[in-house]
Amino acid sequence: MRNPTSFIGGGLRRDLLILAAIVVLGCCVPGVLNRGLVFIAGMIWINAVFGLSFNLLFGLSGVLSFGQAMFFAAGAYATAVFTQQLGLPFIPALLLSALTGGVLAGLVGVVALRRSEGVYFAILTLAFAELVHILISNTALLGRNDGLAGLQRPRLGIGGWQVDLAAGDNFYYFIVAVCAVLIVFIRWIIDTPFGRALQAVKQDPERAEFLGIPVRLHRLVIFVLAGATTAAAGALVAPWAQIVTPDLAHWSNSTNPILYTLLGGSAYFWGPALGAVVLSAVFYLTRTLVGLSDMVTGLLLLVVVVSLPGGILGLLSRWTGGEGKR
Amino acid sequence: MSTALLEATSLDKSYGRIRVLRDVSLTIGAGESHVVIGPNGAGKTTLFKVLTGELYADRGAVRFEQRDVTRMPAHRRVHLGFGRTFQVAKVFPKLSVQDNLLVALEARVRRGNPLGRVPKAQAAAFPGAIASLLADTGFGAQRDSISGTLAYGDRKRLEMAMVLALEPAVLFLDEPTAGMSAAERQATVELLKTVKRKRRLSMLMTEHDMAVVFGLADRISVLHYGQLIASGTPEEIRHNDKVKEVYLGDGDEDHA
Repeated sequence: MRNPTSFIGGGLRRDLLILAAIVVLGCCVPGVLNRGLVFIAGMIWINAVFGLSFNLLFGLSGVLSFGQAMFFAAGAYATAVFTQQLGLPFIPALLLSALTGGVLAGLVGVVALRRSEGVYFAILTLAFAELVHILISNTALLGRNDGLAGLQRPRLGIGGWQVDLAAGDNFYYFIVAVCAVLIVFIRWIIDTPFGRALQAVKQDPERAEFLGIPVRLHRLVIFVLAGATTAAAGALVAPWAQIVTPDLAHWSNSTNPILYTLLGGSAYFWGPALGAVVLSAVFYLTRTLVGLSDMVTGLLLLVVVVSLPGGILGLLSRWTGGEGKR
Repeated sequence: MSTALLEATSLDKSYGRIRVLRDVSLTIGAGESHVVIGPNGAGKTTLFKVLTGELYADRGAVRFEQRDVTRMPAHRRVHLGFGRTFQVAKVFPKLSVQDNLLVALEARVRRGNPLGRVPKAQAAAFPGAIASLLADTGFGAQRDSISGTLAYGDRKRLEMAMVLALEPAVLFLDEPTAGMSAAERQATVELLKTVKRKRRLSMLMTEHDMAVVFGLADRISVLHYGQLIASGTPEEIRHNDKVKEVYLGDGDEDHA
């Protein structure tokens, strides 16, 4: 029998072991690859969290959002503003950025979840994200279309201990650490009674409601949590790329976590993370084919959606008779 | 009347210009099995939805233990003690049998709070509770089966076990024997009788099968074009001329 429980795949312990292995592997990257590839590796970590957050909504709860980029951008801009313009230390700025994403998701969710479900909700999130995009592009404080550039990587002071994250690959290791914490948090949510209730809500909202589970409230809370983790991922982009632009809130950035998830397999916890790795690799390998890169991505997606509805992990799971690594 | 657990007064419900319920009043006493019968389109399902909170009445009131629940959302009625099964049994098809029950048990403890925790001591009692719920409902398949793969009879039993996990005070059963063979129907009647005796439950049921109706009902109400035309004991209903005319026909004696 396949998949003992629908979404989770492996148990919590196994997924934590897999994470530990990935972290160890990830920490080897700066030792063997050049600076450009280390930058891409950092972006993959961030995008993996972006994808996993999206799948908290889509794979776990059956909530489809087309506007997750607004939370990603909110986190990135919030960090830029909190650290550069308000001079806050980085760690509090990171937490406040996550909070910003959560609050924004709360506002959007209260409106968008009120009377709409399924595709209507998806379209409303798209509209809100476009609104955020336009607002950012027209706000002088946020640099309008040029965004905010020249962002500094911070110096961390923990007790008497000082770490300069601008030096060497330090900020890369910092990204790995923060993303690992976020991934543990996301995985933990799935394993709680709340996570199980969300699976129930996805599979049969009416049955869930008549077990005493307030369906809309559950959807709102997971939307807020996913908004917060997405913003935390976005917050890492600001010092890593050292520039934030309105493109972060563009609808095409909202499609990224959807692509990762479909590519990797929405029914598997690690699906979106694997999707982020594979898609980034495809982008990298096709980077010289100007204009063709988008076509390759499009074709890849077409192939996956048409012939691999379970994504890459779905295919692996079929090959290995249902006991594939997830 | 003072012992009424659930009391509906003068319920009206229209879909557009079609009036589906007209001035319907009924009560369910504590421990009573109340069956609503009526031809197709009589408004049974709508009455059911209005009582359980899936729909709100246009006029009239629903009171549970003297408390007005007319406009209370369905999940909050569940917290008060409403349990509901569906005409086509609803379970979470991709979850295992025990996870289905776990969701129900956790939902009861958390009472709708998304961030609500389940105390360790209570969680420790869940495996035992799951075992006894499955035993009580005569569930035959494996506990770790994916519930979407279950035979229909077992899916019905699982749904019943999930609802019983909520420890309801009143059970709403929408055609509990729909689509069943004669043997399965008999088994369901026995199951409901056992459940009722063991847990001192009140029940409100809609049902087409007269053998089931007369086998279970303490009280029967008859709906006809959205109006309640009779309400009484099975004996009274059996001999009610108006009911005979519109619904039971001549063959009812055979089912007695």
